[in-house]
Amino acid sequence: MNDLLFQTRRHFFSQCSMGIGGLALASLLADAQSHAASIAQNPLAPKQPHFPPKAKNVIFLFMAGGPTQLELFDYKPKLQELNGQPIPQSYVEGKRFAFMNTSNGMNLLGNDRKFRQHGQSGAWVSDLLPYTAGITDDLCFVKTCKTDLFNHAPAKLFMNTGSGQFGRPSMGSWLTYGLGSACDDLPGFVVLQSGPRGPRGGAALWSSGMLPSSYQGVPLRNQGEPILSITTPSGVSDAQQRQVIDTVRALNLKQLVQTGDQEIATRINAYEMAYRMQTSAPDLMDTSGESQATLDLYGIKDPKETTFARNCLLARRLVERGVRFVQLYDTNWDHHGGITENLQKHLPGKARDIDQPAAALVRDLKARGLLDDTIVIWGGEFGRTPMGEVREFTGRNHHIDAFTMWFAGGGFKPGVTYGETDELGFGAAVNPVHVHDIHATILHQLGLNHEKLTFRSQGLDFRLTGVNPSHVVKEIIA
Amino acid sequence: MTRLKFLFLIVVSSVSTVRAAGPVSFNRQIRPILSEKCLACHGFDPKHREAELRLDTVEGATGERDGVRAIVPGDLAKSELWTRILSTDRDEMMPPPKSHKTPLTAGQRALIKLWIEQGAKYESHWAFIPPVRPQVKESGSAAVDFFIARELGKAGLKMSEAARAEKLIRRVSLDLIGLPPTSAEVDAFTAAAANDPDAAYDDLVKRLLGSPHYGERWARWWLDQARYADSNGYSIDAPRSIWKFRDWVVGALNEDMPFNQFTIEQIAGDLLPGTTESQKIATGFHRNTTINQEGGIDVEQFRVDSIFDRVATTSTVWMGLSVGCAQCHDHKFDPIEQKEYYRLFAFLNNQEEPTLKVFDPSVDVSGLTAEFKEIEGKLQAIIKERYAEIANWEKEMSPEFRSKLASAIKKAVEKPVEKRSLADNLALFGIILSPSDPLRVLSDRHKEIDTQLNQGTTTLVMKELPSPRKTTVFIKGDFTRPADEVVPGTPAVLHRYENTTGKNNRLDLARWIVSPGNPLTARVIMNRVWQQHFGRGLVETENDFGSQGGQPSHPELLDWLATEFTARGWSLKEMHRLIVTSRTYRQSASDRPELHEKDPNNYLLGRQQRMRLDAEIVRDAALTVSGLLSPKLGGPPVFPPIPDGVMSLGQVKRSWSVSKGEDRYRRGLYTFVYRATPPPSLVVFDAPDGQSTCTRRIRSNTPLQALTLLNDASFFEFATALQKIIEKDGLEFAFRRCTARKPSDDEMKLLGKLDTLSAARVLLNLDETVTRD
Repeated sequence: MNDLLFQTRRHFFSQCSMGIGGLALASLLADAQSHAASIAQNPLAPKQPHFPPKAKNVIFLFMAGGPTQLELFDYKPKLQELNGQPIPQSYVEGKRFAFMNTSNGMNLLGNDRKFRQHGQSGAWVSDLLPYTAGITDDLCFVKTCKTDLFNHAPAKLFMNTGSGQFGRPSMGSWLTYGLGSACDDLPGFVVLQSGPRGPRGGAALWSSGMLPSSYQGVPLRNQGEPILSITTPSGVSDAQQRQVIDTVRALNLKQLVQTGDQEIATRINAYEMAYRMQTSAPDLMDTSGESQATLDLYGIKDPKETTFARNCLLARRLVERGVRFVQLYDTNWDHHGGITENLQKHLPGKARDIDQPAAALVRDLKARGLLDDTIVIWGGEFGRTPMGEVREFTGRNHHIDAFTMWFAGGGFKPGVTYGETDELGFGAAVNPVHVHDIHATILHQLGLNHEKLTFRSQGLDFRLTGVNPSHVVKEIIA
Repeated sequence: MTRLKFLFLIVVSSVSTVRAAGPVSFNRQIRPILSEKCLACHGFDPKHREAELRLDTVEGATGERDGVRAIVPGDLAKSELWTRILSTDRDEMMPPPKSHKTPLTAGQRALIKLWIEQGAKYESHWAFIPPVRPQVKESGSAAVDFFIARELGKAGLKMSEAARAEKLIRRVSLDLIGLPPTSAEVDAFTAAAANDPDAAYDDLVKRLLGSPHYGERWARWWLDQARYADSNGYSIDAPRSIWKFRDWVVGALNEDMPFNQFTIEQIAGDLLPGTTESQKIATGFHRNTTINQEGGIDVEQFRVDSIFDRVATTSTVWMGLSVGCAQCHDHKFDPIEQKEYYRLFAFLNNQEEPTLKVFDPSVDVSGLTAEFKEIEGKLQAIIKERYAEIANWEKEMSPEFRSKLASAIKKAVEKPVEKRSLADNLALFGIILSPSDPLRVLSDRHKEIDTQLNQGTTTLVMKELPSPRKTTVFIKGDFTRPADEVVPGTPAVLHRYENTTGKNNRLDLARWIVSPGNPLTARVIMNRVWQQHFGRGLVETENDFGSQGGQPSHPELLDWLATEFTARGWSLKEMHRLIVTSRTYRQSASDRPELHEKDPNNYLLGRQQRMRLDAEIVRDAALTVSGLLSPKLGGPPVFPPIPDGVMSLGQVKRSWSVSKGEDRYRRGLYTFVYRATPPPSLVVFDAPDGQSTCTRRIRSNTPLQALTLLNDASFFEFATALQKIIEKDGLEFAFRRCTARKPSDDEMKLLGKLDTLSAARVLLNLDETVTRD
């Protein structure tokens, strides 16, 4: 042992065996750096999809709480006709609901929203969404979306991860894991939030689950710095910051040379990307270069204010920069009928918050030639029941059997309405589309086979679409 | 390269060695192929079995069906399996195209061919056969080295030289207590090691294992598995008080509680005869499940979910088995029936989930309770005797005075005399009595005891229901679809279960887990300890010892460790000592060209492994080197500074009022963790989320980590503290605090160009500072 301790250490690179002299250092470091670059494994480096993709990026506009399809898209005159009458037993036999132990909420609820067909495609949209009504020919509506879980946090997990259990990777994580990122100065999966509170489920919704945390969603923050720790500490100059990073790199390179540990090469790259992010994140957030026309298109009055509209604009800017998956959460779509969330007073406001910006996003992407490569998704974790809840005001309960989502761009067929609900809007009359089918279809458009995009954990190959058979909905893609 | 492929290369790189070495091993070479390619459709699960053929048993594989036999031992030509493997006809070939499985590789075919030719011998899955102690003449840590050196030798490799003394003390300190050594400790050890390295090292290990910080470091290892956090999870994510369980784990590890006892107390401490408060606290293990407090939920659904989690956690943590598949159907790969799953479920389905109030040991709870009762009796009697005083006072009261009475008094006065409680009466007497009145003295003592008895901390525990719940199989795991009723029991493929209590309850389950016949637990735990010391388990799939899991890289070493563990009375400390004193552990972590070429991923352990520190230890190390760390042990979780806005990411904005004084600088173990809004500087370094059991942390390496170390306000604060150390004691001293070694002249030159704050920031950002090497 004594001898062993004092033997000269052998170095990993044979040329180092004479030690590192002052002059040789620069060239040696340059060598090591190129070596580092070649052996460093950047987990977000772009990867080949399974087959040629139709789309490269996704923007998911997530209406957290469960938006009502019956006041927005799914026009059911029969419901108005039967307003106040109990729902026929045949519809609800054996079904489970949220708040199922309470007595209210078994009577049908109509509404007096004005529905009209819009565009060449003749899609139904209510008077609550005039801007969306103006772009129906760019949208693909699915009226028969179906999920498994009827409470918010589990259902949100389900829509994002394909499972109601915690610990599974979110869709954005799966995509960056499968495809890498085309952006080397921003994260590959970015989350934006608007509305009065955070979404139920919190960080689990953009978790990378069993995948490495490199694939985790990174929230762009509404207050303080846009990305946590993106700002150089106050009192530290840019020159000092650069000097710190350069010295860290020089010292880390020496360790790399001594130990041959590739993780050091990865860390050197991570510091370089961190430094780039320090510039690119503020650039991203700085919308002063956007024209007034663009701000008007989105309906942005104060670009500094956190609104769904500003987030839509940021989503476009993120996709422009190659960010793979952008998710916008807008909260308070849970219109049960209480004093804070009901169909009379609050739904119109919520609809107004998102209508113009969402339509603007689609128009803006299209005008810039980005819509072909980008899938825009609008929807929530579930829809709402045809039966009404009568609390202080009226509202609707959580509903999992049929709800509406829309898709635009990325090879989804424009001007199409797919699936049809029964006359009360309770379940699918034809063509039900399960959340796993939606996932399979999105992956397909990005060039990924949902059965092959797997990650092994505990001896099992996990995938976004779970173990039960699911299929790509061919009818909604071009 | 995956490990399987690697082992495989060793095997097939010279098929002649395989021949010379004897028969093909079913478990090591054939089972993984069958499991990967065949068993999903031809395995244990009858519902998904195609063509009624099963290949997981010798009877199934060799039985005749319609005149054809899948395998005819020794006769390749007659074996239908072989014909189908070779076939290119889409209707014939195996695996079939619709399975989305790739055909067997040339190497896999060669092995199957050889195996059939050699007689197609089946074996039970290795992990279900109890470990047999390999006969070796070496003992203790020398035995570890024997097995490692033997496999290295086969590949023409040797162990690396020992790590330098200063690196060794840093490594073993970080591994055993989770803190880097002080410069004085490094100096003392280096000096002692120059004299007698082995003795110095033994002394060091002894000191570290005796440190109370050992319990903190290894508690985090266990708390990951226990999915510990400080809130309820889901959308509401209310805070919970269960830190007494965390402190119990720290304490149990520090006193080196035998692992079998450690197991029994956590699974069923409440059921032990003469159960103690401490044993009840231990049952918090299974109270670490999340709770959904959302409106409109079906409570039963989430109760059942929490039992699913308890079954999964128990089997993963102690058995290394993923039984979750059998929640919905018979397991496809491992011989576990759905019914057996629900028999395990039944053990964990009979609890109520109460809160236990725990007092500081200095509080004499029974004495105080007795005194409280006694005083209460006396007070009642005196009040009755002296009630006229109150009656007179009430009579003399003016209506105006009456209207100005405090609300509590007013309420008491408004009640009829016979409805007034003791508290009411004491309040009334409180107004009229002089300070020295014996009734007041007694009443004050009454109040004092009441306060003391309400000051205890609460913690979540398990309690058995008086009569068990009915447990049934759930069709497809759906709790609304109950099927056959089941009673508690264990899977038939595993060792014998005994109903020792006559009640068939959790205590029997716990005893079954640590019973001598169990083939899994000692191996699984030793594998996880090994994983901590070398970065990877001897079985790489540390949470899956089933047939889909990996094979051990050193099966005999694993069995030796497992049998040594039980022979040493399940002592974790003894096993740590044994492992860290081995030459294998003490090797340098640097790569060498010959290792890089023949074993780039270090499966053969021809060197130690450099590992980025765990999230909490990144913090603890930075606090230590900057001189800020509070060494305080245990107690309620603390709230070190976190960035603004973090707490508003969840549905309910939880408050975070930053701890004052030394609590600002406590170890990461003590940071309060909300499951929905966990502390970013822990998450970014891969701390688990406490949503489900975590048996191995991923070690990612990301730009967000760089940003945290560079710019996060806490790390910047640590840097300013380190700056002061540089200014007082010099750059070299600060460098040594971070890395334990002296800087080279080049390194000093680079650092010397910087101002002291920048130098301090560089030191905290060095790969070497956040790496245990």
